[in-house]
Amino acid sequence: MKDLLERLNTKYSLTDIEYQRDNLVFLTIRKENTIDLVTHLRDYEGFTHFVLLSCVDWIEDGKFQLTYFLNQPERKYDIVVRTMIDRDNAEMVSAHHLWRQITTYQRELREMYGINFPGSPGVDENFILEGWDEIPPMRREFDTKKYSEDTFFPREGRKTHDPASYMKEKLYPTEPTTAKVNKTDE
Amino acid sequence: MSNLFNWEPDRSKYPTVKDNGELDVDLSSHKFTKLWVGPNHPGITGNMAVEITISGDEIVQAKTHVGYLHRGFEKLIERRLFIQGFPTCIRMCVAEPDYNEYILSKAIEDLSGIEIPEMAEWLRTLALEMARLQSLLRTVPGQGGTFSLGLGVQWGMYLRDLILDRFEELTGARIYHMYILPGGVRGLLPDGFKARMEENLKLIDQFVINIKKLMFDNVIFKKRAIGVGVIKKEWVDQFGIVGPNARAVGISRDIRKDYPYLKYQELDFEPPTAKDGDIFARSTVRYQELIQTVDLIRQIMAKMPEKGDIKSPTPNVLHWKIAKGETYIRSESSRGEYGMYYVTDGSDKPRRINLRGPSYNHAMSLLEHMLINANISDVHAIMVSLQTCPPEIER
Amino acid sequence: MGKIKDILSPFTAWGNVVKEPVTIKNPIGREAAPRYRGFHKNDIDTCIGCGTCEVICENEAIDLVPVDGIETKDGDSGLRPMIDYGRCCWCALCVDVCTTGSLTLSNEYTWVSEDPDEFRFIPGVDKKSWDDNEKGWKKPEPNYEFYGKKRVDMPELHAEDRDKSFIEFVTGYSKQQAEEEADRCVECGICTATCPAHMGIPEYIKAIRNDDLEEGLRILYETNPLPEICGRICTHKCEEVCSVGHNGDPISIRWLKRYIADQNPSEKYKEILNAGNVENNGKKVAIIGSGPSGLSAAYYLALIGYDCTIYEKLPAAGGMMRYGIPEYRLPYDQIDKDIDYILSLGVDIKYNVNIGTDITLDKLKKDYDAVFAGTGLHLGRSTRIPGSDHKNVFFATDLLREISLGDEIQVSEKIVVIGGGNVAMDITRSLARLQNIKFGKVDVTATSLESEDIMPADREEVVEAREEKAIIDPGWGPTSIEIENDKIKGLHVQKCLSVFDESGRFNPKFDESNTKFFEADMIVESIGQGMDVEYISKEIRDQIEFDQRGRIQVNDYFQTGAKWLFIGGDIIQGPDVIHGIANGHKAAIGIDKFINQDK
Ligand SMILES: Cc1cc2nc3c(=O)[nH]c(=O)nc-3n(C[C@H](O)[C@H](O)[C@H](O)COP(=O)(O)OP(=O)(O)OC[C@H]3O[C@@H](n4cnc5c(N)ncnc54)[C@H](O)[C@@H]3O)c2cc1C
Ligand code: SF4
Ligand code: SF4
Repeated sequence: MKDLLERLNTKYSLTDIEYQRDNLVFLTIRKENTIDLVTHLRDYEGFTHFVLLSCVDWIEDGKFQLTYFLNQPERKYDIVVRTMIDRDNAEMVSAHHLWRQITTYQRELREMYGINFPGSPGVDENFILEGWDEIPPMRREFDTKKYSEDTFFPREGRKTHDPASYMKEKLYPTEPTTAKVNKTDE
Repeated sequence: MSNLFNWEPDRSKYPTVKDNGELDVDLSSHKFTKLWVGPNHPGITGNMAVEITISGDEIVQAKTHVGYLHRGFEKLIERRLFIQGFPTCIRMCVAEPDYNEYILSKAIEDLSGIEIPEMAEWLRTLALEMARLQSLLRTVPGQGGTFSLGLGVQWGMYLRDLILDRFEELTGARIYHMYILPGGVRGLLPDGFKARMEENLKLIDQFVINIKKLMFDNVIFKKRAIGVGVIKKEWVDQFGIVGPNARAVGISRDIRKDYPYLKYQELDFEPPTAKDGDIFARSTVRYQELIQTVDLIRQIMAKMPEKGDIKSPTPNVLHWKIAKGETYIRSESSRGEYGMYYVTDGSDKPRRINLRGPSYNHAMSLLEHMLINANISDVHAIMVSLQTCPPEIER
Repeated sequence: MGKIKDILSPFTAWGNVVKEPVTIKNPIGREAAPRYRGFHKNDIDTCIGCGTCEVICENEAIDLVPVDGIETKDGDSGLRPMIDYGRCCWCALCVDVCTTGSLTLSNEYTWVSEDPDEFRFIPGVDKKSWDDNEKGWKKPEPNYEFYGKKRVDMPELHAEDRDKSFIEFVTGYSKQQAEEEADRCVECGICTATCPAHMGIPEYIKAIRNDDLEEGLRILYETNPLPEICGRICTHKCEEVCSVGHNGDPISIRWLKRYIADQNPSEKYKEILNAGNVENNGKKVAIIGSGPSGLSAAYYLALIGYDCTIYEKLPAAGGMMRYGIPEYRLPYDQIDKDIDYILSLGVDIKYNVNIGTDITLDKLKKDYDAVFAGTGLHLGRSTRIPGSDHKNVFFATDLLREISLGDEIQVSEKIVVIGGGNVAMDITRSLARLQNIKFGKVDVTATSLESEDIMPADREEVVEAREEKAIIDPGWGPTSIEIENDKIKGLHVQKCLSVFDESGRFNPKFDESNTKFFEADMIVESIGQGMDVEYISKEIRDQIEFDQRGRIQVNDYFQTGAKWLFIGGDIIQGPDVIHGIANGHKAAIGIDKFINQDK
C-alpha cells in the first residue's frame, strides 16, 4: 500500500493521508483531479470494486465532502478518495461512466444533498422522495425533529419534568441556585 | 480492463434509446405495454416496485422504484447519541438486523479504540451466523416459492421460527434483537441454549435433505431456474455485485475470508461457489451456504468459552464523544458485503453514517439491466434470486 | 435416469401427510423467553426519579411525572417515569442505564386494550398483571455498565508520610483523573436540592468534562465564594444522595470542585469572574465575624455594590475554617486564596476588633445601613464530670485555635479525647502529629458515647486517624476523671448501650457493670460548642425572638426581629461551612431587600 501511495503522490497531489487500518487508507485530493484519480485506480491499480459513494456535510466550512470508496479485490485493500466541493451550487463531475451503480448514488446525492452531477442519467428523477418541497433532507440544516413536529401532531397530554427544576420548585422555590434547567419541559 | 465498459444488453430487436436516456416507446402503437410489479404484490421482496415495459411477454425496459419505506434512519442516527444508534439502525434491514448492529457498533469501537472481550466476539459471531441461517431458511425455499412451490417455504418458515426462538432467549427479542452494542453484547448464552440449538440444527439437517428432493431435484424448478437470470462474470465489478450473487459466477469473494473479522479466522470453512451465474446457480450457492452455516454454528458453539465478560467499559454513554475521524466497517451478510461508513466530528453524535447494502446495486442498476429480454413470468424469480431487501436501499 | 429422478423426487414430500403438524394451536398465552423485552416494571420505592431513563431513551417515550403519595425529598425528586408505548421500541436502554436498578422489563407481550391511552402508564404505579412477574429483561451481567461505577481514587500521602507534620495529605486530581471522574456523572441534578447552597453541581461537572474550567469557576462562584475551602473540607451532603451512588460509588463532587478551583490561578479570578467594575451604591453594611457566613454575605453584597466592613476579633480571617479545621486538611494558603479574592472586591476587614467590647453593636447600627452577624459557636462545652475542672482538661476548639495561632500548646505523652465527631477526630489527629514530633510516638485515644456504627464522624476520618496510629474506642460514657496528687491519672468510662430513646431524643442508657479505665495525663473534651452573643445588648435582645431552647429565630432571609440585624452561620443553622455560605448568600439578598425597601 505504501508504494502505491508513493506512486500516486508523484502523479497527483494528495493530502490528509490517514491510515485507519493497514488496509484502509483515506486521502484527499482536489476536486478537479478526483475522477481522474478514481479512473486511474480502477484502470491501472486494480481497484475494480466500487464500494460506495457518499457525502458528508461540513456545513461549518461551507463544504460537502464527497467520498469515493474503492476496493482492490486481489490485494484486499481499500482506498477512500475524498474531495471537498462548495456547498453553494454544489456540483461534481459525474462518474457514472465508470461503474453502473454510480448512477444510483448520484441520483440519491442529488436528491438528499442537492448536489448536481451534470450528464448523469436520470439524475433529476425522484429517487426516494416524492413531492418533496423542503430543502434536501440530508443537509445538516434540515431539522428532522422540527419537520416532524410541524408535519405530524404530537400526542395530547404529554408533559415531562426536569428533576432538578422540579425539586427546586417543591423544596426551595425562593433560594438562589445555579442549577440550570437542562431539559426543557415539553 | 476493457470488459468493464461492456455492459450494454442486446437491444437489437427493441426500440432505440433516445439521447435523454429514455426509451423510444410509443405506447399508442399497441406494440408495448407498461406494467407495475409492486409495490403491492405478493411476489415482491418487500416494499418496492418494478415498472416494466413489455412487448408481448418479453421485457424491453425495467425501472426500479423505491421510496415506499424511507424513514431516514441515517439522518435519525446522526441526531442521536452513539449508544442510541444500535436500536435504530437494525431497521435498515429487517431480514438480518444483526449485521446492522454489528457494523455500527464496530465502527464506533474502531473510532474510539475500544477492544471487546473474547467472549463478546464469540457471541457476536454466533449471532451473525444465526442471522444468516434464519435468512437463508427463508430465501432458499423462497426461490421455489417464486415458481409456486410453497411447501418448502412453509418448512423453512417453521425452522426459521425455531431459530427466532433461540434469538428470543439469547437477545430478548425475535426480530429486532438489539443484542450487539458498542462495547460488546448484551448477554451470555442462557442455560441449556446449546442443547436446544442442537435440536433445531438436527431438524435443519433433515430439512436440507428434504428440500433437495423437493426443490433442487425437481424438473420444474430446474426448467425454470437453469439458464434464467444469468449474471455474467464481467458484470460483477461493473455493477458492484457481491455475496452469493458474485460467488454464483465463480468469483470467490467473501468478507469473512478476505477481511477476517470477529472469530472467523478460527473457523473452518470455504465459501461455496458455482459457475453458471443463473438462478439455479445462485440457489445452489445459498443452499450450500445454509449447510455450511449450520456447521459454522456447531463449530462456534464447540469452540466458544463458557464464561467471560460480555462488554468492555466505555465512556459514560450519556456523554460519550468521539474525536474527528472516519472509518468503514464491512461484514458478509447473507446477501454479501454489508458495510458502514461512519464519520465522527468530535461531538457526542456521529456526523454521518452511511450504510452500504448489497441491494442498493442488486435491485437497482443490476435488476433493471437483467430484466431486459427476460420473460414477464420470471420477474419475481430473478428479483428473489438476487435476494433484494428494499429497506437497505432507502434506509 | 437423472430426468426420471427429477420427476419422482418431489413426491417424497407426500411423506409429510402422515406427520403431526408443527404449528402451535393457540399462540395467545405462549410465554416469552425469560429475557424477553416486554412491558416495563418499576420498583417504585427504589426509583428516585432521577430521569436518567428519560435522557437515554432515543424515542422520547418517557416522561417524568409527579405521583400521588410520593414525596419530593432529599435524594428523590418524587417524579416517576411514564412510558408512552406509542413511541417505545423496547430497546431496554432505559433499563440498562437505570441508576437504582429499579426499572426492568417483564416478558409480557400479548396484552391488548381497545383504549389507546391505556398504552401510556406509569409502571409500578398503574397496576398491571405482570407487575409481580419475575421474568423479563434485566440489566445484563457481568461487568456490563453504561457509566463508571467506581470512583477515581484520590491520591493521598501514605500514613507514614503524613503523620509527622501538618502538610496537606490529599493531593488533588490530575486533569485526566478529574475528567474521568466527571465522566461518571449522569447529570440528573438530584444533588442540587440537597446541597445547602444549591450549587449547580451537574453544570460545573460538565464544565470539567468540556475542559472549560473558567466556566466551571463562574458556576462555582454563583453560589459559593469559598470553592478552594469547600473543595477540601465540605461535608458533601450532595454525595450522599448522588444517584450514581445507588449502584456504585457516588461521584466525588467535592474533589471535582477542588479541581476547578485549584486549576484557576488567583491572578485571573477577577477577569474570569468578570468582577472588575461594580458600581458602589453608597450603602454600608457591617459584618461581625469573618467565618464562612460573614465572608459569603460580604461577597454577595459587594457584588451588588455595597460597601462592606468585616469586624473580626482574631488576627486573621476565616473563623473556624482557619482556627478549627487543622492545616493538614485545609492549608492556610488555600484559605487565603479564597478570602483574598473576596477582599480584593473592596471588602474591608478590621482585625482584632471585638464587637461588644471594642465597638458596641449599637454603634454599628448607627453607622451602617444593616448588620450581619456570623459569630459562630466558640464556647467549648464540658462534660461536667468530676475532675473536668482540672487544668489539664482542655476544650478541643481552644487547642485547635492555639495551634493555628502558632502558640505552643501542652502535649502530654498519654492523651484521651472525649467525643466522636469530626472535631474530636481533628484534635485527635492533630495531637497525634504533635506527639509524633515531640516524642516520636503516638498515644492518643478518642472515645465517644456513640458506638462505631453511629459515630457522627465521617468514616474516612476514623480510618485515617487509625492509620495515623491513634486509638479510636467508641461506645463508652465518661463517668469521672481520676486525679492523684493534682495529676490526672486517667478517665473512667462505662459501656453505653444506646444514645437515643425511641422518640429519637438524646437520652443515653448505660451498663454500669461494664466499665473501663483509660490511662492519661491530659484530657480533651470535644462534645460540642455553644454560642457567645454577649455583644447583643439587652435592648436589642428584647426585639429578637428566641425559642424555648434559647435559639435565635430568624426569617427566610436570616433577618431577626431587630430588622436591621441579620444573623447566620453556626448560630442559626449548622454545623458546617456550606450552610454558613448559603446563609450568608441568602442574608445578602435579604439585606439588599431590606435596605431598598425601608430607606
Ligand atoms: C474542629 C472543627 C472542624 C470542622 N471541620 C469542618 C469540616 O470539615 N467541614 C465543614 O464544612 N465544617 C467544619 N467545621 C464547621 C465549620 O467550621 C463551621 O460550621 C463554620 O466555620 C461556621 O461558620 P460561621 O460563619 O458560623 O462562624 P465561624 O467560622 O465560627 O466564624 C465566626 C467568626 O466570628 C468571630 N467572632 C466571634 N465573635 C466575635 C465578636 N464578638 N466580634 C468580632 N468577631 C467575632 C470569630 O473570631 C470567628 O472568626 C468544623 C469546625 C470545627 C470546630
Ligand atoms: S433511571 Fe431508574 S431510578 Fe432513575 S427515574 Fe428512571 S427508573 Fe427511576
Ligand atoms: S425500552 Fe427503549 S424505547 Fe422504550 S422507553 Fe425504554 S429506552 Fe425508550
